[in-house]
Amino acid sequence: MKIPIRIIGTATTFLWLFLIAFLVSAAYSFKDVSFDLGEPKIEMTSHNEILFSLPVTVDNKGYYRLGSFNITTEIPDEEGSIIAQGSTFISTIEKGREIRTIHNMTIDVDKLLQDSQDYLFNDTELEIHQVVSMKLAEVISGQASINLSIPWGAPLYNFTLGEIQYVTHNKTHTKASISIGFVNHASFDLAGTIQVRMYNSTSAFLGEGQTTIEAPQNGSHQRRVELSVPTAGISENGYFNVDFFTPFFDYGPLVIPYG
Amino acid sequence: MAEVKKDFKKRLQEITFKALKATIKSVLLYGIYFVLSMFLASVPEMFPGFQQIIETFVIVYMIFTIFAELTSETIFQHFFNTTKALFVILYLAFSLKSGVIGITFQNGNLIIDLRSFMAIAMLLSLLGLAKSMFQAINFLNAKAETLHV
Repeated sequence: MKIPIRIIGTATTFLWLFLIAFLVSAAYSFKDVSFDLGEPKIEMTSHNEILFSLPVTVDNKGYYRLGSFNITTEIPDEEGSIIAQGSTFISTIEKGREIRTIHNMTIDVDKLLQDSQDYLFNDTELEIHQVVSMKLAEVISGQASINLSIPWGAPLYNFTLGEIQYVTHNKTHTKASISIGFVNHASFDLAGTIQVRMYNSTSAFLGEGQTTIEAPQNGSHQRRVELSVPTAGISENGYFNVDFFTPFFDYGPLVIPYG
Repeated sequence: MAEVKKDFKKRLQEITFKALKATIKSVLLYGIYFVLSMFLASVPEMFPGFQQIIETFVIVYMIFTIFAELTSETIFQHFFNTTKALFVILYLAFSLKSGVIGITFQNGNLIIDLRSFMAIAMLLSLLGLAKSMFQAINFLNAKAETLHV
């Protein structure tokens, strides 16, 4: 009985030593693994989506290889539903190797604005949930999640319609001229058209007009839109229905009362 | 009188030998802990409380080892060895909980999955417990045989 007990004892001791040595060396080697997240870039794609790209560098100077390296980024809206998601997967990073990759994520502006018009008119912050996971030496898996926020610039910041100026056009019709102003705080140049429809106090349609938008990034836009409206239908108050048509989004009608 | 003196001398030699063996084992254990803690110097910064967990474990483990050595060739040695093996199992279970360790940072958190390590460590601890039990059985068996003869 003594020999089997000794064999069990010796085997257990060796296995313990091996296990502890492995765990300690894995933890020690992890300090030599460096992760570097570069400056995020925001640009437009050919499909008129916002491309959020983040350069990622992983330098594995540790003793073990890294496996199943994955970065997942999610952007939820104010209600918590996901509006954009991106994932980058590297199956193996061998020891002594440096991997550079770009983590891309596209944001569909149209979808984003459908969820909340706040993104269109107000500057806000987009919450970013980023999860980085990996397996060290194929055994120990780790996952780090980080919450970040990036500023979101509204493409139609401070959108306002000015006072209506009436100019008699002919016996039956009057020209209504309204100034439109906003500042493009978005990370892209904005071009498209704005359509304005005018209704009086009884919700009777009076007329419509449209103007083009050309607002560069961080540039302000000031234009006038002219509508030919029947003089008889003009009331002191009423409302405008404003529609926006751009390559990035279509939005409307935005109801703005007047009077 | 001379026989009593000889017996006392023999017992003193035995106790001294046991104490020396216990000291060497403790010094070795502490040496291993000291070397490993140098490698893991950066870990306590990431895991608050890690140092305390390891230190408590090492202290209790060393106490059991010393007592087991001092009471060697008695049933108490096996009692301490079994308690030591049980302590390892329970301490692993309590300190690692489900084997998934989570740490919260300022704007995020880190999760480390040590379930596979925990499973292997538990199996080895159980093997250690089984060994202690076998040793105890063997000891009692040998004692019974001696008494019978």
